[in-house]
Amino acid sequence: MYPWLDRSGRVSGLKLSVFLALLLPGAWIAVAWAFATPDPAAGGLIAGAVTSATDAMPVTKALHEIGLWTVRFLILTLAITPLRRLAAWPALVQIRRMVGVAAFAYAAAHFFLYVVQQNYRFGFVASEIVLRFYLALGFVTLLGLSVLALTSTDRAMRRLGGKTWQRLHYLVYPFTALGLWHFFLQSKIDVSEPVLMSGLFIWLMLYRLAYRWNGEKSLALWHLLTLACASGALAMAGEWAWYEAMTTLGGSRVFAANFSLAAGLRPAWWVLIAGLAMALLKLIADHGWGRNRAAARTRAAA
Amino acid sequence: MWIRKRRGWEISESAATPEHVFRGRRRFLRGAAGLALAPALLACEKEAGAQGDGELAEVDPSAGLYPFERNARYELDRELTPEADATSYNNYYEFGTSKNIVKAAQKLPIRPWALTIEGMVEQPLTIDIDDLMKRMPLEERLYRHRCVEAWAMAVPWSGFPLAALVELAKPASDAKFLRFESFLMPEVADGQSEPWYPWPYVEGLTLAEATNELAFMVTGMYGKPAPKQNGAPLRLALPWKYGFKSSKGIQRIVFTAEQPVGLWQAIQGSEYGFYANVNPAFAHPRWSQESERLLGSGDRVPTQIYNGYGEFVAQLYPDQNDRRYFY
Repeated sequence: MYPWLDRSGRVSGLKLSVFLALLLPGAWIAVAWAFATPDPAAGGLIAGAVTSATDAMPVTKALHEIGLWTVRFLILTLAITPLRRLAAWPALVQIRRMVGVAAFAYAAAHFFLYVVQQNYRFGFVASEIVLRFYLALGFVTLLGLSVLALTSTDRAMRRLGGKTWQRLHYLVYPFTALGLWHFFLQSKIDVSEPVLMSGLFIWLMLYRLAYRWNGEKSLALWHLLTLACASGALAMAGEWAWYEAMTTLGGSRVFAANFSLAAGLRPAWWVLIAGLAMALLKLIADHGWGRNRAAARTRAAA
Repeated sequence: MWIRKRRGWEISESAATPEHVFRGRRRFLRGAAGLALAPALLACEKEAGAQGDGELAEVDPSAGLYPFERNARYELDRELTPEADATSYNNYYEFGTSKNIVKAAQKLPIRPWALTIEGMVEQPLTIDIDDLMKRMPLEERLYRHRCVEAWAMAVPWSGFPLAALVELAKPASDAKFLRFESFLMPEVADGQSEPWYPWPYVEGLTLAEATNELAFMVTGMYGKPAPKQNGAPLRLALPWKYGFKSSKGIQRIVFTAEQPVGLWQAIQGSEYGFYANVNPAFAHPRWSQESERLLGSGDRVPTQIYNGYGEFVAQLYPDQNDRRYFY
């Protein structure tokens, strides 16, 4: 069964467009690599149009970009369920598996590019994974995601049974956390992107806790506003703590940068904005299209 | 702050010949004078120091001095890195954290450029880069360059020995270190607006390191003035140390009795130390330093202690097994 077909075997517009969107970053990175040239003039017009980049180390660049997209897709995978509920859009569940498998595929490509960067010295790669903690973290994450990807087929689901499968796939939370830790540790000094991704991850986890505490009933607007503020604050505090504990720079300079626009909006604010956007989504869905959709469904059923 | 002192021979920018008129005149002359004169005229055009990318061409009065005579004492064990690679893959955090800062770096004004030498010296001085070059023994050297990130290149640098500059500065007897400070211009260098880096870029050497024959002040590369992304108009080349020790865009050298704290040391002291001599035996906390990937070819070659320059510098460091000297 192709990923763009729905259960009845027809082409689904939603699934097809998501499938293509998931391929896009990888395709873009591949094209940029193919045309990477240190001299923009040498590559002619195409290279100039595709990459503003001149790059003497295209493998390293592709390696980092694919890694970044792996984390983004993991976060997106975890965002599907909250999005589905808040937007009252049950069909979204159809794309969850696809996004998760894409995250695994990007993780695998990321690992492969590391092997390429190390000039295919497999023994050396193995020893580095053992010696460098952040590589060990990344590798464990990859192993974990591969188990989840392998058990994501309908057949595996049937064989494992709903409950076991569900329990196994809850592991996506700790594996995402490990991946984020790897993302933090590989950074040179600037952890803005890992802080942003971790802040979103915090929101996603808090949302699930709140949903459970609320007796699996949909969350009220004030719940969501609280979640947004809490995850933004935790991201800000976490960023401070990271610089304080892990660098000689200390946390106060970076913390102060949250309250200046000189360096643009810091990641904690983006986490807050994302959280508020989710609240807004619920507001719109409750008052607008959610009801229309429900009405449409009733009509279709009748 | 950038104080622009105009000397007598400098005219205002509005009085300068517009570029299109300048080029038009060249074209006319070239056509009229025929082939025999063309090479000389091309040299003149080079002197105009056009940097491309639509930036205003700054006049580099020293451009005509290149290429400098090569000092054959410093030999390479590998091919030179293609110029296009060495001039397009650059760590220059003042202009952003990616390697692709060529365009952003073109905003840096590099003429006029004054170098200030102060601290524990007999006579503090501020000298124009082009005047300085007239007083220094200019030469070209082929050096390997090893980045702490485990990539490497081999570059023909043009410049003068740092020892000659130290001699000019006449350090006081109690001066033990040199602190190199780079420019601070957040209005042109976007990275300097990121408030959590303690700009300007600072690096340091012991006096013994600075007077070692290998320590080299760079004004050019590949037989031409250095491009801005590579640290024009004045940078260091310290081939036995990791690349971050070789500051770019240097404006101030302070002789001091205290060991300077470099920018990277200040923000991540566990990974970047003061000496930072190349040594494959001491891994970076996050990766091995046993080998390096060559810019351009992507080939991987084993890294050598002191980047292969042990015969020149090993005597500076008492203990080859002390990590303190190698990160």
